[in-house]
Amino acid sequence: MAPVLYVTHLTPPVRAVLMTAKTIDLDLELKKLNVEKREHKNSEFLKLNPQHTVPTLVDNDFVLWDSHAIMAYLVSKYAKDDSLYPNDLKQRAIVNQRMHFENGVAFPELLKILYPIIHDGKKTITQEDEIAADEVYSFLEAFLDGKQWITGDSVTIADYSLITTITALNVLVKIDHVVFPNLNTWMKKLEQLPVYEANRKGLDSYTTHVKLLLR
Amino acid sequence: MAPTLYMMPPSPPVRAVLITAKSIGLDLELKQLNLRRGDHKTPEYLKLNPQHTVPTLVDDDGFVLWDSHAIMVYLLSKYAKDDSLYPQDLRKRAVIDQRMHFDSGVAFAVFLRILYPLIYGEKKTITSEDTKAAEEVYSFLEAFLEGRQWLTGDFVTIADYSLIATTSSLNVLVKIDPVKYPKLTAWVKNVEKLPAYEANKPGLEKFIGYVKSILG
Ligand SMILES: N[C@@H](CCC(=O)N[C@@H](CS)C(=O)NCC(=O)O)C(=O)O
Ligand SMILES: N[C@@H](CCC(=O)N[C@@H](CS)C(=O)NCC(=O)O)C(=O)O
Repeated sequence: MAPVLYVTHLTPPVRAVLMTAKTIDLDLELKKLNVEKREHKNSEFLKLNPQHTVPTLVDNDFVLWDSHAIMAYLVSKYAKDDSLYPNDLKQRAIVNQRMHFENGVAFPELLKILYPIIHDGKKTITQEDEIAADEVYSFLEAFLDGKQWITGDSVTIADYSLITTITALNVLVKIDHVVFPNLNTWMKKLEQLPVYEANRKGLDSYTTHVKLLLR
Repeated sequence: MAPTLYMMPPSPPVRAVLITAKSIGLDLELKQLNLRRGDHKTPEYLKLNPQHTVPTLVDDDGFVLWDSHAIMVYLLSKYAKDDSLYPQDLRKRAVIDQRMHFDSGVAFAVFLRILYPLIYGEKKTITSEDTKAAEEVYSFLEAFLEGRQWLTGDFVTIADYSLIATTSSLNVLVKIDPVKYPKLTAWVKNVEKLPAYEANKPGLEKFIGYVKSILG
């Protein structure tokens, strides 16, 4: 039986898991929760995940949430090799560092800019928003120094985790190609991967939605 | 040669690494940075860690790594005698990863959000919004502890170390109500009894003194 993935919209952490599943050819059964009906806070879902976030995975009798933990688990359990999440101590350590950067810095910055637009009718991107996004971009620019992918010479789940968030942030505050050439090249390369399709659909509808709100 | 840890004692992620090192009997050479002086933004430090955070580890072979969670996993995998603090078992490991991401994305993030305006003199009190945010963290932890002695099950893991460092600090800003959060309160007591918890104390004391100097 295919593992079940609970999602609401195709948010960045959800898309990161979808990219991972697609790369390793794993079928997931998507179950859509309706946020407007607060289905992610009903007692049934809270029993699965008291933190009420999506994505949440149910693999037989095992329940897991947080996209980073889910990606690492799926690769370790279902992938043919370890390339997406290397067994090598040092390589894995860098992947973990980048994922905690996504989780502790990049994703919160995205939410901080996005929330007032979605919930409070904010219509403009402020200079403060731009400074915050540019700081995230400059960290990534430094991480990419001398590297093809975000952790080294091959694609890992850290690339998936970050590309889904960065492409969403890029809709709000455009990445300046001149200031962030490494970042720009990295995005272009990811966009050319077949698996990038798993990011595109969610990103497109998000882009349309945000542009409408900002108009 | 012992691995080097760039650190600042009051920092919760630093303390999580210190607890981990102590529990596996690993010596670290500590290099203290003064963040107020901007030690973390010197060209030399930025070359090590462009994200300019503490803790940053430099292993004896020159390998550089930051983020406390990544450091803890790395140190255990390389130096620990067994895997009990971060088991090989896929499911156990996955739940530990989830808890550690809860730390970096939620608990520690809330901690910083409350602390920063105090440090930068933008406010002098804990607001009701702060209290609400901290209480949400506590209620998540209370739920995670349902039916469990430790945060991920029957054994202490680095998820406990990571979250005790953050929670004991958040508790300085917004007290944990033992009536509302009995499991969390019991867990804190249990962790405090671990010999490795000694490594959390000096930095936490410094942090308490620091917060008192701001809040009075
Ligand atoms: N660190 C988590 C973040 C998950 C997260 O915050 N998801 C949001 C949607 S993008 C959510 O579920 N929000 C609903 C809620 O927190 O109640 C992950 O990577 O899975
Ligand atoms: N997720 C990181 C957080 C590290 C962090 O933010 N440390 C703070 C001190 S508690 C810091 O170095 N701040 C200085 C800065 O970001 O410039 C970890 O677990 O190591």
